[in-house]
Amino acid sequence: MKYIPLIMAGIWRKPARAILTMLSVMIAFTLFGLTIGMNATFDKVEQNAHNDRLYTNPRFSNNGMPVAIAGQIEKLPGVTRVAYESFIAGYHQDPKNRVFVALLNPDVRKLMPDWPLTPAQWDKIAQNRDGVVISKIQALQWKLKPGDTFTIVAPLFAKADGSTSWTFQVLDVADDIAYMSAGYMMGNFDYLDKARPAASQGRANQFFVQASDPTRTADIAQLIDTNFANSANPTQSITEKAAFDVSNSGLDIAAVDRDIALAGMFMVLFLTANGIARSVRERFAEFAMLKTLGYSDMTVMALVFWEAALPCVTGAILGVGLASGISAILPHLFPPGGGVPLPTMTGIVFVWAGLSAALVALASSALPALRLRQMDIATALSGR
Amino acid sequence: MNLLRQIFVVSAMNFRSLPQRFWTSMVIVVGLGATVGVLLSMLSMTAGIRQVYTLAGSPGRAIIASLGADNEGQSSLSRDNVQTIMNAPGIARDTDGRPLIDQSVNISIPMLRANGTKGFITLRGFGPKGAKVRYEMQMVAGRIFEPGKRELIVGVGGQKLYQHLAIGEKVILPDGEWPIVGSFRSGDILEGQLIGDSDTLMAATRHPNYNTVILRLASYDSLGELRKSLTTNPALSVHVERHSDWYTKVIDNSTSLFATLAYAIGGIMAIGALFGCLNTMYAAVSARSREIATLRALGFNGFPVAVSVILEAVVLAAAGALIGAAIAWALYDGKQDAFGANVFTLRVTPAMVGLGIVWAVVLALLGGLFPSIRAARIPIVDALRAT
Repeated sequence: MKYIPLIMAGIWRKPARAILTMLSVMIAFTLFGLTIGMNATFDKVEQNAHNDRLYTNPRFSNNGMPVAIAGQIEKLPGVTRVAYESFIAGYHQDPKNRVFVALLNPDVRKLMPDWPLTPAQWDKIAQNRDGVVISKIQALQWKLKPGDTFTIVAPLFAKADGSTSWTFQVLDVADDIAYMSAGYMMGNFDYLDKARPAASQGRANQFFVQASDPTRTADIAQLIDTNFANSANPTQSITEKAAFDVSNSGLDIAAVDRDIALAGMFMVLFLTANGIARSVRERFAEFAMLKTLGYSDMTVMALVFWEAALPCVTGAILGVGLASGISAILPHLFPPGGGVPLPTMTGIVFVWAGLSAALVALASSALPALRLRQMDIATALSGR
Repeated sequence: MNLLRQIFVVSAMNFRSLPQRFWTSMVIVVGLGATVGVLLSMLSMTAGIRQVYTLAGSPGRAIIASLGADNEGQSSLSRDNVQTIMNAPGIARDTDGRPLIDQSVNISIPMLRANGTKGFITLRGFGPKGAKVRYEMQMVAGRIFEPGKRELIVGVGGQKLYQHLAIGEKVILPDGEWPIVGSFRSGDILEGQLIGDSDTLMAATRHPNYNTVILRLASYDSLGELRKSLTTNPALSVHVERHSDWYTKVIDNSTSLFATLAYAIGGIMAIGALFGCLNTMYAAVSARSREIATLRALGFNGFPVAVSVILEAVVLAAAGALIGAAIAWALYDGKQDAFGANVFTLRVTPAMVGLGIVWAVVLALLGGLFPSIRAARIPIVDALRAT
């Protein structure tokens, strides 16, 4: 503790250098916070995946499968419950404003207890055929509040009378779901189904399946696909765990995030190492004096380490703080619904940031500290 | 001594002393290298997607899709619709007198990627004239599928990115296994796809309708005539677009988000690098303060001194940008990747390298400005006296 004034004096010898270094570190850690925070979101989504759930989709066509398939899947051994959904994809006012509404059958509620919809909201969806509960992101994007109506045009989803415009009542606004980064609108399966031409009725686009044994979900997925392989409706099933794992998508965004954070750290390492090396070089004689006064090698090395670490750690704290602030206002900055997953500033992000800052400080002060340990005091004092 | 000469002399002296400030100068090089490297690496993806679509979108072709569809999979055209389109004016004709139109089917099917993960690949159906409409396609091995037969050909890009797509292997479709009989090269989006006969595929996958019609225009200017004929026909509800314009729209839809992210991240890194640049240039000025004071005492103007500082920042930043671009190029250029069910090749183009250098130079100008003002204003007497 008693060395703090000494360390501060060393740092403030060149205030411009100290502040600029800290600002660079701060910016690098802002980026670090945003990218690693985004990975934390992916991890959270993956961890929150329910091991007992899987999804079954038509294998070859997107015009859906008969809902009767739900009953057939339910009869397979190891399956406890099946629900299903269809969707309307269209646009609001301008073809650029794309809207996607999921239309759920009542059983989805039992299969998805982790969705943030309240029992009252689920009841409202069940009771209002043309109603939707929308997420906060979507409410922000379309400036909607409960009681509003919302019309979309869906050229590929014609009603029996040929009309392609669909009007929804906004029933309520609910919290967002982490893995639906563009937000959601959830409505009643019957709205679309009963309005369509008879030939298109009774079809669903996705089935939600619950397995009785969470360790056998992958086998159930396989079983379903094998069961329907030679039928009129071949299926493609995937466990929720696998569906939520970003590294399974073509592009491993988590790895990209890590690379970006690393590039930032590399930049900072160079900068900090340089600053501290210069500072030590300029004050070589002073350190020799400290040693003459009886400061041990360890103490002098620790002084150098802390002189590097303080701006680093301060910058890291400010940077991650800034990243937290940015991720809080991000939905207001970008057009919401763009689909960029929001970073989550979990404890892990802070731990990683702290560790990285300490590592950068240690690595950048190592060489100057060693030089000080091996210095020849007499030579250094004489300024040669 | 005129100003230009002064600038030259001071700058030359400045650069000769760079080796003494090597590690400090490297802060700028590394900072801008990291910034430009990250920016270009991320943009390599949008550039790659842009390239495969741009190459596929010949202005000599038109695409007809149902109204409101913004990708081929969403479009749906009945057999009657296709018959009507066939009789429209403005379409080029084959040697047999029949119109050069490709009634196509576009579905995506699950396929294991080379790295073992589950992905999707686009399976496209060609009409009888499909290969002639897509004239850039060239078979490189095997033969093309026979119309009416359950056979497929595959693009060489698809073969690299997915498993089990060698000639002779079989693809599982609803009514059985279809052998792959040939592979082709096209240099564009098709190269990552599987292709078979439209009608046979529709029967197999129970697709009642075609997705889109792609056709060769009789001449570049026939589009207006074709569009007028089709959009005024009450039996049709279609959108007629030049193939190249259609893909421009697809490119914007699929890359704008990623490009925004790339620039946002590049921008944040650039701010960090800017502080690093300021730091370094202030240090450089302070290291050279005696030398600068001596020059001033000899009668050199403050302006050439300031210019030499900015010039140093610009040269270091440009060097960093080149290194960053080289790393991005080495890591990503030519690497194959998939976006949804489409295969593309990552690209770091000369234009992108140019963009990186522009970023670096602008940052260096900003980062060199204040230190250069300090350099020009160094109090001569104090600086000469300082040890």
